Amino acid sequence: MYKMSVRLLTLRALRGAPGLCRRTPAVTGGFRAAYSAATRDQRSVITESTDEYKFVERLIPPTRIPDPPKHVGVAPSGWIPPAESPPPLPYMIRRSRMHNIPVYSDLTHGNRRLTLVRKVEGDIWALEKDVREYLRQVTGNELPTQVNEVTMTLKVKGHFEQELKDWLASKGF
Amino acid sequence: MLRFSCLVFSRGAARRFASSFSSETALPPNLRLPSNLVDPDRLRRPPPPEDSSLPLIRKCDAALPAHLRPVRTWVDTLESKDSEPLGLTELHPDVFAVTPRLDILHAVETWQRNYKRISHANTKVRSEVRGGGRKPWNQKGSGRARHGSIRSPLWRGGGVSHGPRGPKSYYYMLPMKVRVQGLKVALSSKMAQQYLHVVDSLNIPTPDSQYLLELIKSRHWGESVLLVDVSEEFPENILQATENLKTVNLIPAIGLNVHSMLKHEAVILTLDTVRFLEEKLLWHDERYTFLYPLKLPYSDFP
Repeated sequence: MYKMSVRLLTLRALRGAPGLCRRTPAVTGGFRAAYSAATRDQRSVITESTDEYKFVERLIPPTRIPDPPKHVGVAPSGWIPPAESPPPLPYMIRRSRMHNIPVYSDLTHGNRRLTLVRKVEGDIWALEKDVREYLRQVTGNELPTQVNEVTMTLKVKGHFEQELKDWLASKGF
Repeated sequence: MLRFSCLVFSRGAARRFASSFSSETALPPNLRLPSNLVDPDRLRRPPPPEDSSLPLIRKCDAALPAHLRPVRTWVDTLESKDSEPLGLTELHPDVFAVTPRLDILHAVETWQRNYKRISHANTKVRSEVRGGGRKPWNQKGSGRARHGSIRSPLWRGGGVSHGPRGPKSYYYMLPMKVRVQGLKVALSSKMAQQYLHVVDSLNIPTPDSQYLLELIKSRHWGESVLLVDVSEEFPENILQATENLKTVNLIPAIGLNVHSMLKHEAVILTLDTVRFLEEKLLWHDERYTFLYPLKLPYSDFP
């Protein structure tokens, strides 16, 4: 984006600056060449204007991520906004900087499947209990989980990204 | 242990009962305590209560998350030694009340120490030591061990085989977000341990170092104090007062770093510094990944 705008600027500058890419009319010779040179000299009074810079300015990207527009219920893309007030649970799961639920799936060694829940605040053991209970209802198995109290993350064996995301969204996180 | 010992000694009448009921925590009767024993818990001022009558001087500019409350602290002055706090201020919890990640603090502190380090230790290898090109004696016949040069690492005066080689740089960069989190963790730790104080400005009435030392002593701030202000120009009085003091130091807000905060016991911020730090440190929580270096223009930076 930025490179394109720089190229536009340079092209415009080159077009505006006379004598850079034009041959002198006397060299080509002829009556027609002299006539066009005279009119060009009358016309080529250099005017500087910075009004066109607004076309460049609107292309320069911002640094801060904007807040998403207000949706009532589910957005057309499937994005579920967080609840207005945080749910009355002993733990809280914040949204990522792109306003998504921080549940990620991981695949290592070709066969080790993990689901990671990040950005947990509050009582992480209560969250672990609830997650184990919910996944037992969904799958019917007892799944091993790992709680990291320093980084406040929760790992679950297996790929349950979509189930956990739907469950957390339904809770209002 | 010493704090509890002070409490026990102050309750003179209960001393006899304490010794009979709680045997593990009772002090031996022949214990001698020094007269200048300091109990920091009893000397420090407790955090402001909910129903305090002082005015709220500053509220957080940035939007707070819905589930967090701002941290409240006193706002003092340096104008007079025994003045009451001017009011209260609210501090953003995402800067001054983050989880105390000691591993991040350690990583940032070691990075600060090592990234500037260039070790100039250098030794000569057998090829660089003067001499040793000729075979000292014949391979066979002399009866001595076979050698190819007098400067091999086996020989006295020979080269070092695996020694330090030339100027070596220990430069590495931690990710920007880790360094930012380190600053937040350091500020939160100072806040939690009540070593962080907020002041309205760094104006003092006299350029006297003794005034500053007595002020710090009377308020029990600690042995070493770091004074932080936003602008790089400080008032004349405080510059003169801190010039010859080793334990009281001035720093502009852009120079605030984890090593200085850990080195000094107390950190004093002005209200402008708090606003500046919150603005800069919270921006990292809601920024895009950089498309190109920050030196090139962005629409809302700086």
